[in-house]
Amino acid sequence: MGLVRKTASTEPEEVVPPEPSVETLLQQVQDTDPELRREAALSLVEVAEAVPVLLARVGVETEARVRDAVLTTLAAHDTATVAAGLAVHLASDEAGLRTAVAEALATMPRSAPDLMPDLLAAPDHDVRVMTAMILADLPHPDAKTWLLRMIAEDPHPNVVTGAIDALLPAADAGDVPVLQAAVARFPDDPFLRFTVQAALPRLTGTA
Amino acid sequence: MTRVLVVDDAATVRLYHTSLLREAGFDVAEAANGLEAVEAAMSTPYDLFVVDVNMPKMNGYACVETLRSETVGTAAPVLMISTEDRPGDADRAYQAGANLYMVKPVDAERLVRVATMLTAGKGPAA
Repeated sequence: MGLVRKTASTEPEEVVPPEPSVETLLQQVQDTDPELRREAALSLVEVAEAVPVLLARVGVETEARVRDAVLTTLAAHDTATVAAGLAVHLASDEAGLRTAVAEALATMPRSAPDLMPDLLAAPDHDVRVMTAMILADLPHPDAKTWLLRMIAEDPHPNVVTGAIDALLPAADAGDVPVLQAAVARFPDDPFLRFTVQAALPRLTGTA
Repeated sequence: MTRVLVVDDAATVRLYHTSLLREAGFDVAEAANGLEAVEAAMSTPYDLFVVDVNMPKMNGYACVETLRSETVGTAAPVLMISTEDRPGDADRAYQAGANLYMVKPVDAERLVRVATMLTAGKGPAA
């Protein structure tokens, strides 16, 4: 059977809407429709000029899924401006915000490390706890060194236990003295002692 | 036996709280974040939830709100334990539906005492 020539289609061609401009996306990221805000935030992933607008949204966005989209886009920029703009929220009174920001900073190996001197010395111990959370997942060669410094030097037991928890997956026998010294620094902290004692058999190969 | 779900992203904290409560006779399960806790609560009835605040995926406040929502609808007591000691943290926990808010580290005896109290007579070995 020969090929049947297809007659010219009379069906209307699908109309593809034009991509919204950056200016439109920057307006949509503040729209009242959360889904539109989320889509706009994700669409601004490689738009450097969107950073100030997105940073401004972090603290005021009320929908978690939109905030996650904003943070995903910002984290992809991984610049000092973004890192510094996010770090201020580590002291937020809103648990969801500070945790989401810590997760975002943990995916920023180029810029988050530059914050570490300030974060490790933050006067608010809750910020230092969040810093341990960042270091737990930050893919950076110095992450373990910073955690060991927190364990050895931080004056607050909750920061030290947070740092120990972050360190343990990557800890080895060489870290045992630092862990034992932490127990000695906080002899009245049963959780810290328990944590180290529970980890020692694995670290020393006596499990 | 009284069932407890310990919800914390820190493995060491889960191990600590789980060990203390198991030693005291509670039947303890674990969840690593709020989302896991909600999923667990939808399939298994628990008599007590011990919930951290700062967790990935779903934080403690959102977790407790979901546990109290129609989605899960549990009336089981919730003890929130956090490193956070800011003004308003406890209020936020109670608004979410927690029964008690405590700041880490929690003394072992106190944790067991509170867990026993919150399970109101069921006790660890009930």
